Amino acid sequence: MRLGRFIAAALLLIGGGATLSAQAVGTIRGHVVTNDATHAPLAGVTVSAGTHRAITLADGSYQLTGVAAGSDSVRARIIGYAPQAKPYTLQGNDTAQVDFALEAQAITLAEVVSIGYGTQKAGDLTSSTKQITDSSFNPGAVVSPQSLIEDKVSGVQVVDNNQPGGGLSIRVRGTASVNASSEPLYVVDGVPIGNGGGISAGSDPLNFLNPDDVESITILKDAASAAIYGTNASNGVVLITTKSGQGRARVEYGGSFSSASVTRLPSMLDAAQFRAAVTQYAPGAVSQLGSANTNWFSLIDRTGMGQAHNAALSGSGASNNYRLSVGYLDQDGVIQGSSTQQIHVGVNYNQRLYNDRLDLKTSVQGARSYDTYTPGGVLSNAAQMGPTQPVFDATNVATGYYNWPGNSLTSADNPLEILNNATDHGTTYRSVGNLQAKYDFSNWEALRGLTATVSLGYDVTYADRVSFYANDIHQQTKNGSDGSFYEAQSQQGNTLLETYLDYQPPSLLGPGALDFTGGYSFSQSSARYPTVSATQISTNAFGDAAIPQAGTLITSVDVEDSKLISFFGRVGYNINDKYLASASVRRDGSSRFGPGNQWGTFPAASVGWRISQEPFMQSVGFISDLKLRGSWGKTGNQAFPNYLFVSTYGACNATAEYPIGGQFVCAFRPSAVDPNLKWESTATWDVGADYSIFGQRFTGSIDWYSKHTDDLLFTVPVAAGSNLSNYVLTNIGSVKNTGFDFDVTAHLLDAPPNGGLSWNTSFNVSHNTNTLLSINPNIPGGASNYILDPTSGIAGGVGSTVEVLQPGQPVHSFFVCQQVYQSNGKPEEGVYLKPGGGDTATCARGYNTVAEHDPAPHWIFGFTSNMTFHRFDFSFTLRAWLGNYVYNNVASNVGDYRELTDGSSPYNLNSSVLKTGFQTQQLLSDYYVENGSFLRMDNISVGYTFPWQGERLRLYAVVQNAFTITGYSGVDPTAGLNGIDNNIYPRSRTFTGGLDVQF
Amino acid sequence: MSNSETPLEKGTHRERSGHMRNNGWKVLGIATALALVGGACTDPTVAPQSTLTTANFFQDPNSYKEFLAKIYLGLAVGGQNGGDGSTDIQGIDGGFSQYLRLYWELEELPTDEAVIAWGDQTLPEINTQGWNASNTFVNAMYYRIYFQVGMVNEFLRQTSDAALASRGVSASLKTTIQTYRAEARFMRALSYWHGLDLFGSIPLVTENDAIGAAAPKQATRTELYNYVVSELNAIRTQLPVAGPAPDAATYGRATQGAADMLLAELYLNAGVYTGTADYANALTSASNVINSGLYQLNPVYKNNFTADNNISPELIFAVAEDGQHTQTYGSTNFIIHAACGNSMSAGNYGVDGCWYGLRMKPSAVDLYSAGDVRGATIYKDTAWVEGVASLSTFGDGYPNPKYTNKTSTGGTGSNPPFADTDFPMFRLAEAYLIYAEANIRGGGGSAATALGYVDSLRSRAYGDTLHGVPSGAFTVDTILAERGRELMWEAHRRTDLVRYGLFTGGTYIWAWKGANAYGSDSTGVATNSHLDVYPLPANELIANPNLKQNTGY
Repeated sequence: MRLGRFIAAALLLIGGGATLSAQAVGTIRGHVVTNDATHAPLAGVTVSAGTHRAITLADGSYQLTGVAAGSDSVRARIIGYAPQAKPYTLQGNDTAQVDFALEAQAITLAEVVSIGYGTQKAGDLTSSTKQITDSSFNPGAVVSPQSLIEDKVSGVQVVDNNQPGGGLSIRVRGTASVNASSEPLYVVDGVPIGNGGGISAGSDPLNFLNPDDVESITILKDAASAAIYGTNASNGVVLITTKSGQGRARVEYGGSFSSASVTRLPSMLDAAQFRAAVTQYAPGAVSQLGSANTNWFSLIDRTGMGQAHNAALSGSGASNNYRLSVGYLDQDGVIQGSSTQQIHVGVNYNQRLYNDRLDLKTSVQGARSYDTYTPGGVLSNAAQMGPTQPVFDATNVATGYYNWPGNSLTSADNPLEILNNATDHGTTYRSVGNLQAKYDFSNWEALRGLTATVSLGYDVTYADRVSFYANDIHQQTKNGSDGSFYEAQSQQGNTLLETYLDYQPPSLLGPGALDFTGGYSFSQSSARYPTVSATQISTNAFGDAAIPQAGTLITSVDVEDSKLISFFGRVGYNINDKYLASASVRRDGSSRFGPGNQWGTFPAASVGWRISQEPFMQSVGFISDLKLRGSWGKTGNQAFPNYLFVSTYGACNATAEYPIGGQFVCAFRPSAVDPNLKWESTATWDVGADYSIFGQRFTGSIDWYSKHTDDLLFTVPVAAGSNLSNYVLTNIGSVKNTGFDFDVTAHLLDAPPNGGLSWNTSFNVSHNTNTLLSINPNIPGGASNYILDPTSGIAGGVGSTVEVLQPGQPVHSFFVCQQVYQSNGKPEEGVYLKPGGGDTATCARGYNTVAEHDPAPHWIFGFTSNMTFHRFDFSFTLRAWLGNYVYNNVASNVGDYRELTDGSSPYNLNSSVLKTGFQTQQLLSDYYVENGSFLRMDNISVGYTFPWQGERLRLYAVVQNAFTITGYSGVDPTAGLNGIDNNIYPRSRTFTGGLDVQF
Repeated sequence: MSNSETPLEKGTHRERSGHMRNNGWKVLGIATALALVGGACTDPTVAPQSTLTTANFFQDPNSYKEFLAKIYLGLAVGGQNGGDGSTDIQGIDGGFSQYLRLYWELEELPTDEAVIAWGDQTLPEINTQGWNASNTFVNAMYYRIYFQVGMVNEFLRQTSDAALASRGVSASLKTTIQTYRAEARFMRALSYWHGLDLFGSIPLVTENDAIGAAAPKQATRTELYNYVVSELNAIRTQLPVAGPAPDAATYGRATQGAADMLLAELYLNAGVYTGTADYANALTSASNVINSGLYQLNPVYKNNFTADNNISPELIFAVAEDGQHTQTYGSTNFIIHAACGNSMSAGNYGVDGCWYGLRMKPSAVDLYSAGDVRGATIYKDTAWVEGVASLSTFGDGYPNPKYTNKTSTGGTGSNPPFADTDFPMFRLAEAYLIYAEANIRGGGGSAATALGYVDSLRSRAYGDTLHGVPSGAFTVDTILAERGRELMWEAHRRTDLVRYGLFTGGTYIWAWKGANAYGSDSTGVATNSHLDVYPLPANELIANPNLKQNTGY
């Protein structure tokens, strides 16, 4: 059948050239059935030949009359089945019989897509929603589930911090907040994890979920789809569904081994270059130089080995299905001291009772993650420690490691001394589970079409993060810390109760079918965060296993409780699958806000027109399906700390007391507060189309959107006397994101059944323009109307920041001076353009600093290719970003010769100094703001599948992060979300080999 | 691949309708029950536990005292941490923004008494009346005043009868809180006085205005004056009466005497504030202080300004500072450090270093004649010149280390980086001078008594009775000069000169008056009368559209 389809498609392509002869006409008739054992007749199939068209009847029959005699092809198509074309030869006044057996095809439009509180056929969606299922997930050593969909969905930017299982950030259609979170809401099997709600001592809060247990990930990109999640939906919603069992009992095992190595490290001077630089620019320090040739980075990096094993038992009976899984994962980082180790358990059980009227679903996912981290200071000191210096020093009886002479604050530390005398690790236990009961009332005539769902969910976390720095390492002794110990034990529990009714009246309501969903949700979170931190510790004997006697011991406990209560409803209306409309509303009551502001309403509405169903479109042969969509909706963002609406009383310390009645009294101060603090709110327009063309060979969607976020939180001056201080955190700013997303999946080649070549590709592109519209109307316009971005701190200087929040510019734009260059392309030290350009001046913040470029990519491309040939499979995924800029902070911080004399011992220099010749730091030069555009081969995989005792066994090899082409000179152009490359963890290239077996 | 299944295709099932119906009811019942249980929960309110809010803070009976401490501390330290950390107002350094430091600078630097050397942006212009509506220090003073007002208003809201009743506060604590409330109202009246004196017409916000409500409306200077006077008259008898110094119970706190002094200040300047003078009440209020018998002139003038000035019987209201417990880079600690520099030895003043800032203008030095102990602290070392040729040169103009972190017995304060010296806001000597001025200006009383008061100050200053006010010279001008000598650098001068009509205009010119702060010409010139009040902050006019800028700015 596949061969047939292939041939048919080929014929179609040349069909336009087929000649028609004679004026004589005839009739074509036949039946259309399904190509499975039942051969059930298919009604409603569109069958066409030339300009003639017919729809099959209930018995699957059709008839085309008046067809010109000759040879041509006749085609049959219906949603959910692969279209077919068959050749015919027709004599005048004759009748030709052409029967079709259509093969069901899980094409995009027939796919069942998870939406909030239910599922929907992709074809009926009127919103911008994209679902990725496990067959399309990224291969290789994947620790965090978010990585599975990297590069796969337009409008979705995935950024990871390169550490094993590292914290991943996702931006759906740009950054829509400054002081609240911009991360999407994650919902795992119906349980919202909440923005920032997951505490973790590990790298990423979603690591409790075994990537191998994930069946599908759905991104709700626009407000029409996301607004059903109300106040947590402004940054998009990510729905994660875990696998459940089906079919006979089977066991699956997947195992893999991987090996990771560093791709790129900061480019620093080697021993000879360093010696030469010191000799020339810091002759006084030559005597301090050793004779070693030490490559500090090569001493701290390593080949990171990893392994992953997953086993699952799954199956289904007449009225139940189940899947049990266990997983083990161990991945070492490419820098010593960092690793992640995870044990996962997953249980999904589904039992149907009372003639399938009652459907009980249980899903429990849990994990223990043990993460270790490279201690702070290792990476930066590997860059800055002199390469002429030895590693060891026998005279150092405490640690045995060499350090620069003296115990000065202004010298680098031996990174190996830190690495081997400090620890930093975390253990996280987390489980998320859900019990859902769904009852179908259809056996009561009056209640036909009604189902009720009750769902009880939980999300519990216990996390323990411990770090310890010995009291005799140079890094600790030089600043008087003299050792430090820190432990934070966090515990958090969320409970969730949701009930909702779904009603689909059995008869049409007017011309169309109605679908109504309405419900109630109650979620409650309790958390407790105790911490202990100690410095000046008396002994290293305990390591991190006890709190030693300490000069300073600070303990704290924080209890954070919150509630979210919601009522929600959605109504859909569908006329003949042609005219579609949907509206939803959610009313959220949140504990984060004060009386009068606790409740917010988040409405959304969308319409769809499947124009391909219209008669006038039937003649447009290349269109299999085309749906036009438009939507508007409002969503909220409350991902910021609890209790901001209420004035809190801050205690004094013992040096700010006042005498009252003969004793010094600690003074308590109530904080300034905006009691009317409310959600950041986003209104989104989305106009798009879902298409399927050339016999569903190309399917995809295209969307244009405009997201306007108001009531952004900022701390701004307020009218004196109206509050308890002169600045207050309030809802005042606005930001806009506009752009478009485009996805296409192409079935380029379909293999014949006996296993030829098949080739699928998918490509996506997205463009986003972010503009901060306003931050603070209380400050007069002009150059002063900006806020230096407090999150953009850089190394070098004290309290230096390099980004700005300025209306008219993207959020987090770099705020730098425009470098003047010599004719030979070398930057002219300390010479910058004046405001407006032209003349030159030294760099002065607020005078000739300008907002230019920003860390967010303006264009994101993803391309995936999957080929199978007989038993081989081969795939790769490419990614490109355009227009993202990175501030190379390693270069700006130690890219000048003054670093040789500024401290008590010379710092090693970034090799950019050989190009610039800078004598002093030029922290605000835009020379260091580099274009970070890149093309990256994210993964390449090859596999071979053996038939094995009637089951299958697949061997595969994957290389992740195969290569990156970029003009950026630093470590990684995806340098975190903030675009500041300051000794970031380097990116690794990972080779994985593994096998999957199923029996 | 070949055996992939169609998902969740239901098989065929036998109908068991009766059985199912019963179960259906069970399920429906459970679902309804759950929905009702859940649905009953429609209140999302959650009380914070680890943070102190009004809900839990006031459960502790000590909280009222701790809040009151903040109201006083707002004048003593710039923030919640010693050394002015965790600042009360944002947008300016904590030490710079310390209440008394700002108040002192605005009252002294633009007058004939003092100059400051530092070049901090917009600070030099205060030396020369050269400020505009964007002056950092002027603006910070404005926000300091409203920080105090905000604290007091909140204190009053949290201690209303209804609030106390709702918390079940004990009767004895309630009585104590009534005194606290009177003290808080005094502190608000004090700051409003500073506000109406420095800025003229500004918003009047009270405990009856809600937090975060609309931008407040501007009150006229007369409305503010009337409000402050009525407040003080309402609370004066509720305030504690000071005991003999040192009185631990009332140390550093508002007393009836303090309220009377503040009333005297208001009445004395009523003509400036409202256009209608009220010298009779000024005299009455001053008399109330003097006749209370609670205060005596300190026999040793300079002991009003020492590390142990808390024991001076002359002080009526002082803001308490302490090197250990109440640490600030403002207040007296600022004056002591800043009036020290060059060859002066910081140790002689009980501090850890010199800041090279404050000196006297020659017009102030010239007020003193030989033998007057009040001028004896002026540092007339040969390395100095009296004339202030350059504002920024510490050797130009004599420093006046009148305040010191040494005790009256020669010991050093408890912690040299931070002085123990309390800031003497009101002292008995000024009550004498107010009585005298009010009497001369027709406020009633006895001329002989008035003269006697002034003579008592002069005899203390000279150590004899030979330097009384000369016959026929008992005039308002004499009083102004006497105020200058007696209250030098005590943050009264600008108010005095405005009352006398001499602060601006050309009647009285002193060095640097109206000059270019960044130039070298110290010759003074006449200035415009709009400078008699400071401008409202330029940014405030945007934040509060109800405001109208003072004329001339």
